Amino acid sequence: MFKTYKLLLAILLPFILTLRVAAQSVSVHGIVTSQADKTPLPGVSISVKGTTSGSQTDANGNFSINAKINDVLRITYTGFTTQEITVKQNEANLQIALQEAQNSLNEVVITALNISKDKKSLGYSVQGLKAKDIDEAKETNLVNAIAGKIAGVTVTNSQGDMGSSRIIIRGETSIAGNNQPLFVVDGVIVDNSQFLGTNGSRDFANAIADLNVEDIESLSVLKGPNAAALYGYRAAAGVILIKTKTGKGSKGIGISLNSNATFSTVQLLPTYQNEYGQGSNGQFSYVDGKGGGVNDGVDESWGPPLDGRLIPQFYSNGTPVPFVAHPDNVKDFFNTGVTLNNGIALTGSNDKADYRLSYNNLHQTGIVPNSSQGRNSFLLNSSFKLTPKLTLTTIANYIKDDADDLPGAYGKRATSTMLQFTWFGRQVDVSQLKNYKDANGNTFNWNNSYYSNPYWLAYENTVGQHKNRIIGSVELNYKIIDGLSANFRTGTDYYNDRRKIKVAYGTNGTPFGSYEEDAYTVNETNTEGRLQYTKKLDKDFSLDLLAGGNINTILNEENDQIAPKLAVAGLYTLSNSRDPLVSSNYYGKLKTYSYFGSAQIGFRNYAFLNLTGRNDWSSTLPAANLSYFYPSVNGSLVLSEALDIKNDVLTYAKLRGGWSKVGKATTPYQLLNAYTFTAPFGANPQQSSPAIDLNDHLKPETTTSAEAGFELGFFHDRVHLDFSAYNTNSINQILTVDVSPSTGFSQKVINGGRINNKGIEVQLGLTPVKINDFSWDITTNYSLNRSKVASLDADGRLQSIVLGSDRTVQILAALGQPYGTIYGNAYQRNAAGQIIIGSDGTPVINPTKQYLGKYTPDWQGSINNSFTYKRFNLSFLIDGHFGGSIYSNTNRTGTYTGVLASTLPGRGAQNGGLSYYYPGNNTSAAAVQASSAPNGETIYHDGMIFNGVTADGSKNNVILPAQSYYKGFTNVDEAFVYKATYIKLREVKIGYSLPSAWIKGAGLQSATVSLVGRNLWIIHKNVPNIDPETAFNTGNGQGLEDLTLPTVRNIGFNINVKF
Amino acid sequence: MKFTYKTIIAGLLLFSATSCKKELVRINQNPNGSQTAQPDYLLTAATKTTADTYWGVANSMDASLLFVQYWAKIQYTDPDRYIYTNSSFQELWTVGYSKSIVNLNQIIKLADAQGNTNYKGVALVLRSWTFSLLTDAFGDIPYKQAANIDQSITPAYDTQKDVYYGILDDLKAAQAALDPSGKAIAGDIIYANNITLWKKFANSLRLRIALRIADRDATKAKQVLDDIQTEGSGYISSNAEIAQLVYLDSPNQNPVSNLFDTRDDYRISKTIVDKLVSLNDPRLPIYASPTQDPTPQTYVGIPNGLLVGDASSLGFTKTSKPGAYFRAPHAPAVIISYAEVLFDRAEAAARGLTTEDAATLYNQAVTASLQQYGIADAAVAIYTALPAVQYDPTNYKKSIGEQKWIALFGQGLEAFAEWRRLDYPQLQPAVAGTLGGKLPVRFIYPGTEQSLNGTNYKAAVADQGPDLLTTKLWFDVN
Repeated sequence: MFKTYKLLLAILLPFILTLRVAAQSVSVHGIVTSQADKTPLPGVSISVKGTTSGSQTDANGNFSINAKINDVLRITYTGFTTQEITVKQNEANLQIALQEAQNSLNEVVITALNISKDKKSLGYSVQGLKAKDIDEAKETNLVNAIAGKIAGVTVTNSQGDMGSSRIIIRGETSIAGNNQPLFVVDGVIVDNSQFLGTNGSRDFANAIADLNVEDIESLSVLKGPNAAALYGYRAAAGVILIKTKTGKGSKGIGISLNSNATFSTVQLLPTYQNEYGQGSNGQFSYVDGKGGGVNDGVDESWGPPLDGRLIPQFYSNGTPVPFVAHPDNVKDFFNTGVTLNNGIALTGSNDKADYRLSYNNLHQTGIVPNSSQGRNSFLLNSSFKLTPKLTLTTIANYIKDDADDLPGAYGKRATSTMLQFTWFGRQVDVSQLKNYKDANGNTFNWNNSYYSNPYWLAYENTVGQHKNRIIGSVELNYKIIDGLSANFRTGTDYYNDRRKIKVAYGTNGTPFGSYEEDAYTVNETNTEGRLQYTKKLDKDFSLDLLAGGNINTILNEENDQIAPKLAVAGLYTLSNSRDPLVSSNYYGKLKTYSYFGSAQIGFRNYAFLNLTGRNDWSSTLPAANLSYFYPSVNGSLVLSEALDIKNDVLTYAKLRGGWSKVGKATTPYQLLNAYTFTAPFGANPQQSSPAIDLNDHLKPETTTSAEAGFELGFFHDRVHLDFSAYNTNSINQILTVDVSPSTGFSQKVINGGRINNKGIEVQLGLTPVKINDFSWDITTNYSLNRSKVASLDADGRLQSIVLGSDRTVQILAALGQPYGTIYGNAYQRNAAGQIIIGSDGTPVINPTKQYLGKYTPDWQGSINNSFTYKRFNLSFLIDGHFGGSIYSNTNRTGTYTGVLASTLPGRGAQNGGLSYYYPGNNTSAAAVQASSAPNGETIYHDGMIFNGVTADGSKNNVILPAQSYYKGFTNVDEAFVYKATYIKLREVKIGYSLPSAWIKGAGLQSATVSLVGRNLWIIHKNVPNIDPETAFNTGNGQGLEDLTLPTVRNIGFNINVKF
Repeated sequence: MKFTYKTIIAGLLLFSATSCKKELVRINQNPNGSQTAQPDYLLTAATKTTADTYWGVANSMDASLLFVQYWAKIQYTDPDRYIYTNSSFQELWTVGYSKSIVNLNQIIKLADAQGNTNYKGVALVLRSWTFSLLTDAFGDIPYKQAANIDQSITPAYDTQKDVYYGILDDLKAAQAALDPSGKAIAGDIIYANNITLWKKFANSLRLRIALRIADRDATKAKQVLDDIQTEGSGYISSNAEIAQLVYLDSPNQNPVSNLFDTRDDYRISKTIVDKLVSLNDPRLPIYASPTQDPTPQTYVGIPNGLLVGDASSLGFTKTSKPGAYFRAPHAPAVIISYAEVLFDRAEAAARGLTTEDAATLYNQAVTASLQQYGIADAAVAIYTALPAVQYDPTNYKKSIGEQKWIALFGQGLEAFAEWRRLDYPQLQPAVAGTLGGKLPVRFIYPGTEQSLNGTNYKAAVADQGPDLLTTKLWFDVN
């Protein structure tokens, strides 16, 4: 402990020593290593503070520089804490160990346009992640690996183990538009769309999931417009900057290998009841599964008790067999998913060039039978010093995604997974269904009135996705004179996403089957030129200038073809069709020209003023409004240096603040209405007015944001605190709003609306223990965001905008409310708040819909504990969302169908059911509560009475059979809205890096092994039967859950070796 | 050096301000749709889409066909028990206004611009029919401010009375605009561009609506009928002139056929089967299919509104689906039949609004309905001679109400309106109905109106009564 303290003091000493002594020239030679693993660091920049002279470490971490006695050397390296060392004498072998920055206060970070800057010079919050924070998690979707690790970032994982994930920074700033951040990889803007398609009911992954996390060196999160203003029209939602690994500094040919195996299991399924089986009114007997027997077409579990009584069942050919529970019948359907992820990277470098070539193969079989996806990716990252002044950098990333079948999500009859288990006979043994075809090739199932066998759906009705993607860039960097450089880059992201949606002949509800081919083409190209100028003006002032221009082109194409009925079975071609093909296509293109500039004025390296400005010309806006300018200003002041604070408690203090404005255009073709064609009626073409009324007076959206914060370091960074507060207003929003269809349109594009988001973010880092071989680090993130929809249209006629809906529940942006309110049917209540029960004994629905909650969390937080002992590392991350609500249709439907354990109370005397009879055994008459009947009528024991009052205020006493009771409130949406709070044990990692003594003999530089668990445990949640983190897709209509695939628990084993 | 770069940047800025704008505007020209519309294409689309929803699941099969007890549900019986949510009736509203009326308005605009009054007349007739479907179902609806988004993004509701009166004016204008010797039209999939028949359709619709308001305002009804008389184009006058859309093969097949391709939720209602059996009605084998497994009765209807288990336990194979005639891909969606026009004329006479002979017209109406389904003349003669079928001048509402109900089989929305107005046949509520022993007498407004047009919605509810299935509409006097 004491030793460490001294070391820290030694590092900090130069800060304190500001004396200047007469200059004497000396030369300094040395080596820079990483303190953590003692490996040499190449490419570290060493500069003499206050001058423009500098040097870099070579491949082996060695450097040499000329300086004067008492000059201060600044050693800076991305991802590491900057060190300053005062030159005392000639140094032949100066050993410098850089400390890896863990969101440290004094590090170099990547900012907008990939410009590296000292964190202390920034007037806004920026937070980053390192390779080891993300790549060990081995999530197949990069976005999931960020969950819980950055303050103010909300990640929602939507479906099962292969679906999409939504990421939001500092709340939703756009009422109806895309709220997800821009992703930039090595300066190339890459697409993160999610194309859901209309058929197929798959939760196709968002496009950023294509990236191989193994290639990522660091990731930097620019939270909102203050940090991202230079990115122009797409900065309002923030930017995630990704830097991939390079070959800089590798000796000879460096080879690294990594191998991972991850096992996924179902973490959470609804809690089902196992006392009653399929049927209705307690009756069931199977003949044909479609009403031929007694209630055998009913897909609900209101049947006889599962007491072993003998009843003919679907597999028994009419023979009565025991009617018993199969408690794990849903769980047994799912498999253990296996993900194998193997990669190799070759690196090399010399004085003139460096390269890194990686190949990664991912193969995943999912928890849903027959589901699988694979990915092969190649990344070549190379740079060449063409002349001492001219550097060429090229990046080529080729990704090939192949999924033969993605797991069926949502509630479509021919393609869903969970639909059939929520409308289910609880007695069904799924192992009896594994042979899903009978001798004639027809579906064999427990129910034939509506469903096909779940294995049939999994193996026959498949949805494949095949994607080819290239992300590439060429960059030229020319040092014109000392301090002035020019940079030119062109980068593109191009992919082709083809889907094949098969529904087999003989599928229930689609007797002829169908076949659909969907093709998406996406391309974004950015070409950018810029000049950068750095000048030390005098001994106090420094200046950084940047000016440049960008041309941006985005293309989107979609081409869908459907054979709605196949002519013959088993052949999936578009020409194998008995009906005319249904075709549609879309072509969208937009172009934006931009100029931008920025200036940073520094004073004595502790006060900084940053200015930026950008003008965009966007093709998507009307000629009169297509040009728009927006500025930003921010500043930082390192108080500890400015005021020369020197004590061992408060070791660092920085204040920062800023204001920014960004403009935003829209998507193509939002200006003039166009009539669309549908398939002809016989020989008559059909043309219709569009569903959306467009607007040719659109103005750009404007988001303004003010942000202030401070960073404090105590005890030489053993405690560091970063606090931010922000206030963001988005106005003139371009909204496609739902309007009353009585206007003649279902939606209208308007320019209006203001949404306000304000919040705070706190990051607190602690190192409670740090002794020789052992350290304990705690990282916590806290964020709170409050949104308010302040106005919608200019003249105040719109009260709300629909963001999403499920059944009668709508997700609204409603005037005066937080963003994303849940709006739906509620109980009718009297003045005293009691629920009113109708004469039929079921609750009355309030004819006026009510606000039932909001989906956005009140606050979220995470805490990561990391322990390092010698070569062992253990860390665990807990994160939680607090507040917010979710509507669960799994709970609603499961209540209706009687499959959930929550429908047991009252079902039979053993569950507290009341006794009653029907006078004269007339089941249409009102039931009478009694334990004996006057005329020997049948006595039932599943009676229930709704807790509520009749219209006249007297207590409800209508007795209902449990089946009617539970069905009786399923149209009351309020009953199925729950608090969405959760706390999860998100990630546990145990790692060990093998001692070099062991591995040297094998020719290895390093070798690490680790065991990683993800989503191991939901520590707390309020909603029963589902994971509250589950959502529909990546759109804005969140807060709805409908038959989503179960959340999975992952346990993986990694090996990483470097030669 | 620096100066040079500044010059270049300044030059670039100047360049972009002038020449890029044109390029950007050109890029944003939409290649996915046409900015101009053609009246014939719009007409086909508007007709097809309105007929689809009129004959489709939400308004017909899952609602009005159940209310008037033509059909009943054998599984998923909630609608048959009057359990609906406020999203159940969204489709009529959405399609009516934003797919039908808006396109018909566009045809009117184009017709005015091109001086083709026949397009205008045809569009007005179809628009009037659509508005009548909406007001018949919901009551007060946006009419004057409807489908005019540039003027109103939250259209005010008009009272049902104002809507009917407005439609009557529109139809009068349509009649004036339609001219068989005027410019030709195309794209008409009802009458194959025959303007003479459209004139008859217009008058027949006026007759229907005149009677709809007759209990409230007999004077206005009479005035409309006098106008028609004076105008002289007459009514639909044979089964060959029925206003209907005859469907084609898939994907343009009849919505009922489309549904039975993939689902098996419906049976014919016991109510209509019992009635047809009691009259030995020759239309029974057309309206109903024989049970799949042979049964003594051959045609077995099921009671409306059973609990799920009770319904399915009747057996899918032991009960009758609706007749093959109605489940055929090409089955027509009938808008106004010749029989209906005759029943209407009989009623007008019975009410003293015209001087025609009610009994004769009633007999012709029953005959026309039987002939519509190809019943042989001999059978027609036997049927019309039955005392139970004979016209009863002391209770025209009963005679006309019951026979018209039988004749309108399949036309759920129209039968629902006429049953409410005539109060015959006297239907019993669904077995496990949830309206406290009542039958629905309207649709509930789509829930989206509450969030999207809340102020006007509230005003309509205040005017008309609570937004419930049991709230009586203006035209429905008893």
